[in-house]
Amino acid sequence: MTRPLQIGARHHRLPRAIATLAILLTTSAVLMSTESFAAEPDVTARAAHTLNGTATANLHLVKAEGSQLFEEGPVSGTLAGSASAALTTGAVFTASFTIHTHSGSITGHGRATPHGSGRYQSFSGSFLATSGSGRYAHVSGRAGLYGVFDRRTDSVVIQTTGTLTY
Amino acid sequence: MRRARHLLAPLLACACLPATAHAAQSAKLHVSFSPNRLGHGTTVDISAKITASGGYVPSPLTQLQVSYPSDLGFDISGLGLATCSQAILEIFGPLHCPADSYMGQGNALAELSFGPEIIQETAEVAILRAPQEGQVALLFYANAGTPVSEPIIFSGMLIPGPAHDESIEINVPLVPSLPAAPDIAIVQLHATLGPHGLTYYEHIHGKLVAYKPKGILLPRRCPPGGFAFSATFAFQDGSHALAHTVVPCHPEGKHRRNRNI
Repeated sequence: MTRPLQIGARHHRLPRAIATLAILLTTSAVLMSTESFAAEPDVTARAAHTLNGTATANLHLVKAEGSQLFEEGPVSGTLAGSASAALTTGAVFTASFTIHTHSGSITGHGRATPHGSGRYQSFSGSFLATSGSGRYAHVSGRAGLYGVFDRRTDSVVIQTTGTLTY
Repeated sequence: MRRARHLLAPLLACACLPATAHAAQSAKLHVSFSPNRLGHGTTVDISAKITASGGYVPSPLTQLQVSYPSDLGFDISGLGLATCSQAILEIFGPLHCPADSYMGQGNALAELSFGPEIIQETAEVAILRAPQEGQVALLFYANAGTPVSEPIIFSGMLIPGPAHDESIEINVPLVPSLPAAPDIAIVQLHATLGPHGLTYYEHIHGKLVAYKPKGILLPRRCPPGGFAFSATFAFQDGSHALAHTVVPCHPEGKHRRNRNI
């Protein structure tokens, strides 16, 4: 039996979630994602082909090109699988990324405003799904985008939450 | 007393005369990377020289804006992982700022005219990351010897550019020299932004471990013609000067780029 995730509830819990992410990033980002979502269903697909929930990507630096970072890593929660992203930092964070799942992939763009000036910078913005493959070939929609960027290691935890249709 | 005042007046007037006769300022800019290797972290070394025609002391610098290509990885340099507030700097000085807040260092040469003489003064400059929500703000702490021994703190900011440029904007305060004499004029600036000479610290398994921040990342590909920098100097007298320079790519880097293609 699957349980639809409540987006509103997610929003209320988000500041605490981001704070938790920042703390746990220093120890084990992978451990964090496993613990946060182990008790929840991975994917919630409704009959109307909507995808509801939260996906968390723990990305590490693969290579850097000037001010652009190429990152990849596992995704947990809704859309469990892996993700690759090209992230540009600055006064505004922008990213294009693809989430790969066993049912297909979702590609999109994200734009977020960073907060803070220390080692860890949290950010918040939105994610726009632009294309997909497999089950998600006709994916579209906009979701919230949140996360924490570690300026020492260039690793990033990205959380998307919202509803996508496919 | 009155007689002494009479003697002092011409002397002060004499002290003012050479510097008030400002001529148009011109400026030169020089930038280098150390090391200059594409795809690697580097320290950016910026030097500027300001001159006035006729051998006069230039008008005091009030603002400096240095533009650089946006594909230089300032944001991902690993520099300025901590911040230092202006209050800490004012009260305790830069030695009480976190080591991880240092982003660079430098020095400045200033001139002030005293009668027919031009007196030069050097100052060491520490460049630190300042607390600023979501932006890279800088604080400059300039400490000189005599005759102006008071430390000077001024601010700067990394400004995202409209196109492919970003810039560092520095507001330089006017520094009074002697009573009734013009303000001190900066004639040479030298600053490094990057890991050169810096040591950062991080906790690993409960131990404080020293490391060198990776530095400003150069892109893997050489931009056409090299890395273009420009600087705009604004002076107290309302005039401006512009200077350009290009940092060529290291031949080794160019070669590697061609191989990649």
